[in-house]
Amino acid sequence: MKSTSLFRSAWIVFRKEIQDALRDRRTLLRTLLPAMLMGPIMLIVMSSLIASFEEHAEIREVYVVGMEHAPTLRNYIERQTYTIKPAPANYEAQLRSAKLSDPVLLVPKEFEQELAQGEQPQLEVVSDSANMRSRSGTRNIEGLLKGFSNERAALGLAMRGVSTQLVQTIDVVERDLASTQARASQLTNMLPMFIIMAVLIGLMAAALDSTAGERERGSLEPLLMNPVQRSALVLGKWAAVATLGILVATLSALSFLPAQRLIRSDSLQAMFQFGPQEAMAFLAVLLPLAAALAAVLMAAAIRCKTHKEAQATGGLVITIASVLPLITILNPGAEAAWHLMVPALAQATLMMHVLKGEALSSLQIVLPALVCMVLTAACLADVARTLQRAALK
Amino acid sequence: MLVIQNLSKAFHQRSATGIFKRGAEQQIAAVRSVSLQAPNGQITGLLGPNGAGKTTTLRIVAGLIKPDAGTVEVDGINVATHTNAALARMGVLSDAHGLYPRLTARENIVYFAELQGMTADGANQRAETLADILDMKPLLERRTDGFSQGERMKTALARALVHDPANIILDEPTNGLDVLATRSLRDALRHLRSPEGGSKCIVFSTHIMQEVERLCDDVVVVAHGCTVAHGTVPDLLARTGQTDFEQAFVELAFQQELANKVHGVIA
Repeated sequence: MKSTSLFRSAWIVFRKEIQDALRDRRTLLRTLLPAMLMGPIMLIVMSSLIASFEEHAEIREVYVVGMEHAPTLRNYIERQTYTIKPAPANYEAQLRSAKLSDPVLLVPKEFEQELAQGEQPQLEVVSDSANMRSRSGTRNIEGLLKGFSNERAALGLAMRGVSTQLVQTIDVVERDLASTQARASQLTNMLPMFIIMAVLIGLMAAALDSTAGERERGSLEPLLMNPVQRSALVLGKWAAVATLGILVATLSALSFLPAQRLIRSDSLQAMFQFGPQEAMAFLAVLLPLAAALAAVLMAAAIRCKTHKEAQATGGLVITIASVLPLITILNPGAEAAWHLMVPALAQATLMMHVLKGEALSSLQIVLPALVCMVLTAACLADVARTLQRAALK
Repeated sequence: MLVIQNLSKAFHQRSATGIFKRGAEQQIAAVRSVSLQAPNGQITGLLGPNGAGKTTTLRIVAGLIKPDAGTVEVDGINVATHTNAALARMGVLSDAHGLYPRLTARENIVYFAELQGMTADGANQRAETLADILDMKPLLERRTDGFSQGERMKTALARALVHDPANIILDEPTNGLDVLATRSLRDALRHLRSPEGGSKCIVFSTHIMQEVERLCDDVVVVAHGCTVAHGTVPDLLARTGQTDFEQAFVELAFQQELANKVHGVIA
């Protein structure tokens, strides 16, 4: 009997594992379908959300109670091309239940009289901080009222012959440094986390089946009775699992390309630019991660006697790997150097860079890839060591 | 040709305890001293009660467990030091013989054939030949998912024999088989023993007397991890002065137990 080389044996194992996984149509569909649909679904949901915000911003309306007590203010608001609408009587309840999505301005009866006497009348702006959209409208009303107050003050000073510059000692101009893509990425920050999750779910079934599943079926012991190096078995199995993970990663990265056409909001469409180049950058970032996570899942699962036990362990790995990206999502822009050394976190951070339209440096690509390679090697060596013990239960 | 000499193996096991306390470590001697010689062209039965150490012995033979002491040689090749060379000369049907449910019987067989270093063509031809011998032609193209116990066993056996090994080691192969399946397995083993079948060296473990009486040229009786007797069935009957082989076996295994009790080994 001629002896088989390491790579030939690994290739035989790889081919069989892939064939086995492809035969499992239902599992395959359940992992690949979400990966393909994720891009379109995420973008549609986000764009409709933004579109509703935009619509809202364009409508210049103010809901007021007691406008009849303040003709001067009405005059000012109307000059700013806002429409004044009477607030519904039960505006408090409506705000709480989010039926009313605009804040309400309350004008007291004595407003005009106090204003004329220079007594600083009080105005109330009512909103519900749990009602996100009413909260964002508050800023508009406050700006409007400040403008009114400034105009009144300027008039009063001018009548007394004082320059308004004495009061306004500084002039503030806002300048936003974020590029348009960076602004869009505030909304798309979650995407990398979902892609990493999709990859993990894609890996899970195959990783578990080729380790704990093989153990539970009782096919691992006969497999080890073939004159094949353990490393060849592990290498072949890992290559098959990683290939499936890479397939999912590729599908989910590519799914954004056609999905962009579905974006309903014009401004998001202008800001979210995801071309073939971005897709390639995503893949360059994701491939080492998929390979490493395949090895990690296998190392976790080979220690489990049953598929069920392995699923619990795999779930833990998935949770950790998908929670790590939250570190940057919740605190965008504040990156530390060590972020690049942590698998999953590094990849999420880099994908966010790509979405912002920033180019990746070679260090940013190589360092996380290197970490993933070391992790892969360590986990595979561990699986090869554990294989024999695992076969005997 | 399989030669086992003075094999011994002990496992460490913790005794059951509470949630936080770890149990004291115990040494359990699975195999104390097993020896056997199985020549080519013969069927050697490894007969012993449950827990006698049969499966552990066969796992050591297959190179899955390193023995504490003793050696196993297959055609003169030491299993512990040259595991893969020895495995290439062995076909082992172990206690665990799970199949891949999503693959057909043929794919299951060809997978192992290729791992044994055969070409795809050679593997397929061999699968056909084995299907003839084991009477499982109609099974070849079916997925093993819905196979009966007997069909599974046949497929697993074909998988173990695919590389035409000179030494065949079977761990309780008739477990769960019905009369017909057992008969056809017996016929297959007799064929493999015959010169036309290749004069294989066949070792098979069992706790069923009938199997041994009908099939084995030579019997090795194992009890409590030790070889307690070996010889042909008539030999063993003569030695114990019995006419019923079951009675002879009980006496051989029981004698050992009695002796142990006298020496206080078994508490």
